[in-house]
Amino acid sequence: MATTTAAITITSSDIGDNAISISNTATLTTAGTNTGLVETTGLARKKFASSSNIILLDHGLTSGIAADVTADKSAKVYIRNVNDRGDGTKFVNILLAAVEIGRLYGGDWMFFPWSGGAGKDVEFTASDTTETTLEYMVFYE
Amino acid sequence: MATTTAAITLTSSDLLTNALALSASMTLYQGGTTATGLEEFRMERLNIPIDDYGGGTATNFDLVKDTTAATEDANYFYCINKNTNATHYVVISIKDEVIGRLYAGDWMFIPWDCDVVHANGSSIEVQAFVAEATLEYCLFHNGETLVTAADS
Repeated sequence: MATTTAAITITSSDIGDNAISISNTATLTTAGTNTGLVETTGLARKKFASSSNIILLDHGLTSGIAADVTADKSAKVYIRNVNDRGDGTKFVNILLAAVEIGRLYGGDWMFFPWSGGAGKDVEFTASDTTETTLEYMVFYE
Repeated sequence: MATTTAAITLTSSDLLTNALALSASMTLYQGGTTATGLEEFRMERLNIPIDDYGGGTATNFDLVKDTTAATEDANYFYCINKNTNATHYVVISIKDEVIGRLYAGDWMFIPWDCDVVHANGSSIEVQAFVAEATLEYCLFHNGETLVTAADS
C-alpha cells in the first residue's frame, strides 16, 4: 500500500474584510477504504497547437490507462496548463464527455475525482491554435 | 483588486520507485485579464441529507446553481467532504454528467465555466450516499445573477 497525499491551500488577505485561509490534506485511498491507491499514470506532459476537441484521457482505449478507471471507484485527476498567462484571453476548456467543466488559463491547475466509465473521456478544447502545454497525472485503483 | 492564491502539493514516498513531490500555485484572476484578481466569493458548510439509508435512491441537490453572470468566465470551485467514515461519499456532477466521488476527507478544486447554454444547464450538483455528508465549499467567481425576491 502506498501513501499519497494531496494538499491544498487557498489564501487571500483582501478578498473579504477578513482574510481567508483554507488548508486541507487528503490521503488518496481506494473507494470506501483506508487503503492507499497504488497505481498512477505518472506525470505526463503534452504539447499541442490546435483548437479542435482532443481527448486527454480516453475511455475508449481497451488497453489504455483510462480504461482501468472504471466507474464507481476513486480515481483522481490532476491537470495543469503550463503556459504563461499572457494577456489572459487564452485558455484550455476542460470537458467531461460533452459537458464543459471549466477553463484553465495559463498557470491554472485543477484536481478532481473521476468516476470514469464508458464514454466519460476527459477532453480539452483550446481557445485558439497557440501552442499549449498541459501536464496531467491520474491516480487510480 | 484582490489577490487569492490556490496551491496544491502532491506527495508520496512509496507510490513510485522515486518520491513524488509535485507543487503548483496559481492566482485566481478574472477571465480575459492580465492580472486582475477575482473579487467575489461564497463559502459555506452544510449537511447533505440522504433520504434512504438503506442504499436506495437519494436526492440530487443543486450545490451551486448556474447563473448567467458567471457564464464563459473564470470561476473556481473548491469542495471537501468533511465526513470521517471512509465509506461515506458524495457524487459531484455538473448537471447530468457525473464528475466523480468525494469520499470522506477528499477535496476537489476545479475551474467552472458555468455553461448555461448547455441543454441541461451547468449547476454543480451533489448527492450523498451511505450517510448524511458534511461538505464545505467555496466558490470564487466574477459575478452572479441575483434572483429577484418573490415578494418584491
